[in-house]
Amino acid sequence: MSTPRPAAAARAPRAVARSGWLTAATEIAAAWAPTAGRVLLGLVLAWFGYHELVQPALWTGYVPGFNATSTAAVILVLAHGWALLVLAVALIAGIWVRGTAAVVALLLAQIVIWLTIKAGLSDLTLRDVGVLGLSLCMTGTAEQRFVLAS
Amino acid sequence: MRMRFGSVGPAGLGLLAATGVVGLVLAGHGWAHRAGGALGSLGGRAAAANVAPPATRGPAVGPAAAPSAHAGSPGARAPGPLLASQPFAPYAFAIWPGTPSVAAKAALTGLSVNVHRLTSGLSVTAAVNGQQSGPAHFYLHGVRVYVLEAAMGDDSGSSDYNLGDDGLVVTDAQGRIIS
Repeated sequence: MSTPRPAAAARAPRAVARSGWLTAATEIAAAWAPTAGRVLLGLVLAWFGYHELVQPALWTGYVPGFNATSTAAVILVLAHGWALLVLAVALIAGIWVRGTAAVVALLLAQIVIWLTIKAGLSDLTLRDVGVLGLSLCMTGTAEQRFVLAS
Repeated sequence: MRMRFGSVGPAGLGLLAATGVVGLVLAGHGWAHRAGGALGSLGGRAAAANVAPPATRGPAVGPAAAPSAHAGSPGARAPGPLLASQPFAPYAFAIWPGTPSVAAKAALTGLSVNVHRLTSGLSVTAAVNGQQSGPAHFYLHGVRVYVLEAAMGDDSGSSDYNLGDDGLVVTDAQGRIIS
């Protein structure tokens, strides 16, 4: 049986300390990452929802099948913005998180599909694919912190 | 109220209801201001011709078949306010005179703007890519041409997904908006 070398013995406490720090960081991330993802996804939706509501004319170009200057396109943008705002608050407050995330995923899937059909895969579309992935992830996340209690 | 994907209590329902009401109020505001975007947009109508630059969507400029003259030509209207004094000034990128900057080229994404030097002035045409170009507008020498793009994030490749925040502005040599 060989005795530990002095250098290895000196490194051991540091390794244990680093392991403890890593373990703590991992536990914190595991506990709060779903909450961070949920709130940040909600902020994205809130930002878009608010701007669609206050300046619908800037967004009518995205409405599939309608002339960008038509009244119907403005109404659809307002309805979309209203839905995004309500969904955003539901996510941020932690209300019915998985169901809300599922609805958000459907909305984002529609956007991704439409943009892909219209102009093919692009950096803009891929960015929405990432947000779609986050919303899909939220539909499967059961444990959440920082939620409205009742 | 217990649902399969989570719970919604009275507080949650109240918060969602309040959000819905706020959303309706914002929608009412948006509906009241639906005519104009942040800019004199390529896709919308100008809110106030004397303050904001008029809409200049290429193929939808109007039925006028003959070229129109601006900028100091006989009968042209007086210049408007300084471009620098307008809220959309930060989103204006010069494309004439000189070589457009990288930002100006990015702002031109999805648009086709041509400026040609003539003996008597400049000819400016604007159009959305893939659509027929609008009528040429003529200006005397010395004018400056800017493209407006409020958000570069709606551009990708050669496409601009949202023309509502795009526009074209022509100023005189002093920076006063003439079109």
